Amino acid sequence: MTDLKAQIIEQLNLQEVTPESIGDDQPLFSKEGLGLDSIDALELIVLLKQHYNISITNPEEGPKIFQSVRTMAEYITANQTVKA
Amino acid sequence: MSIYINGTGCVSPQQTTQGGPLLAALKEYEQVRLAVVDPDYKQWIDVKQIRRMSRVVKMGVAAANLSLEAAGLTAPDAIITGTAYGCLDDTGVFLKKMVEQQEEMLTPTAFIQSTHNTVAGQIALLLQCHGYNNTFVNRGFSFENALLDAMMILDEGGADNILVGGMDEITNYSHQILSRFGIYKKAPVKTMELLNSPDSGTIAGEGAAFMTLSKTKGSLCTTELKGVSTLYKPLWEGEVIGHIVQFLEAHNCTPEDIDLLVTGRNGNIDQDEIYEEVAEALFPEHPEACFKHLCGEYPTAAAFGAWMSNALIAEQRVPDAVMFYGHPPEKINKILLYNHHEGTHHSFVLLTYAE
Repeated sequence: MTDLKAQIIEQLNLQEVTPESIGDDQPLFSKEGLGLDSIDALELIVLLKQHYNISITNPEEGPKIFQSVRTMAEYITANQTVKA
Repeated sequence: MSIYINGTGCVSPQQTTQGGPLLAALKEYEQVRLAVVDPDYKQWIDVKQIRRMSRVVKMGVAAANLSLEAAGLTAPDAIITGTAYGCLDDTGVFLKKMVEQQEEMLTPTAFIQSTHNTVAGQIALLLQCHGYNNTFVNRGFSFENALLDAMMILDEGGADNILVGGMDEITNYSHQILSRFGIYKKAPVKTMELLNSPDSGTIAGEGAAFMTLSKTKGSLCTTELKGVSTLYKPLWEGEVIGHIVQFLEAHNCTPEDIDLLVTGRNGNIDQDEIYEEVAEALFPEHPEACFKHLCGEYPTAAAFGAWMSNALIAEQRVPDAVMFYGHPPEKINKILLYNHHEGTHHSFVLLTYAE
C-alpha cells in the first residue's frame, strides 16, 4: 500500500503529504481525511488505468473503491487477480 | 472622471513582494532569461489548492492579493486580467501527455488549468468574487485592454473597485520556441548593462502586476490613472509622435508637463530606436526611466512598468537603477509610460500625482 500511497501523492501533487502520513483507512474524500474533490477522483481513475490497466466500468462503484487507500488496494488486487 | 490606483501588487524577477522602498534590494542578473522571485505562496493560497496551480496562477493570485491588501479591500467588484500566453506551463503538460499517451487517459487538471482565464478565475474562487470577470488575450495589448475595460466599467458606474492586472510566464518550451525567432540575446548579458547593449535581441522575462482601481480615492492612494491609449503597427515614428501629442492633449497636457518619461527599452538596438526618436522629438530635456532590465521582456511587461510608475509617484523618488537619461525630477507629478512590444504594439499610460 505504500507504493499506492506514493502514486496517489505524485498523481495529485499532494504537498506536505508523505506516504507515512496517510492512514490505510483514512477517508480520501472527506474533510477529516485527505479532503480530495471531484477533479482528484478523475485523476485517481487515470492512475488506476495508467499504473494497473484497470478501468472502472461502473461509475456507481466509485465511492466504494475510492473510500480509502485500503479499498483502492483491495479493488486493484481483486481486478488484477481476475485478469490473471 | 478620476480613477485612482488605491493599491498595487507585483511578483517579478525583483523582490517586489516584500514591501519597503522601490528596489531597496535590487537583484542583478547575468542571463538571457529572468524568472520571478517566488514569495511564499502559502500565505495567500491553501496548500490543498496550491498543488494544482502553475507558476503563473500563483504569481497572479499573489499579486492580486497584495494589491487588495494595499487597497484595504477583501474583495473587488470585478476582476479583469490581461495575458498573452496564458497558462503556458499547463498547456505544455497537457500537450506533452497527449503525444506521449496517444491522446488517451489524459489527466484533467492540466487541461482545466490551461485556459487563459484561469488566473482571473482562481482569484475569483479564492475571494468568492461573483462579479464581472474577464480576461483579455491581445498579445502586447492584453494588459492595456484590461485597463481600458476597467476604466470604462468605472466610468459607467458598473463597479466601485476593480482588480486589474497583467501576467505572463515563460517556460522551457516557450523560451526554446521564442529563441528560434531571434528575440533574445545569444549570450548572457548583465541586466544593469542591458539598456546600453550594442546588439539586437533582449532578455526574456515574466511576472504579474495588479492594481486596484476605484473612482474613490483610498487613504493611501497617491496616483491617478488619467488615461490609456494604444497604437498598433505605426508605419513610422511620426505616427507615434503624433499619437502621443494627441493623447496628452486629450488629457489637457503637453509634453512639457511630463515630469518623467518611463519607456519600455529592452536593450534590443533595433527596437529601442523608436524610443530614441520619440524622446528626441518630444522629450529632449526630460529625464527618462526604464524597467525592462529589471523584469525582462514579455507581452504584459507594461503591467510591471505601470506598477513601477505608481511606486515612483508614491515615493517621489527615482532609484538610480531605473534612471536612463537625465536627473531625477524634484517633483513627480506626471509620468508618461510609453512601451512597445515587438515594435507592433505601442501603448501609452498617463499617471499623475493624486492630490
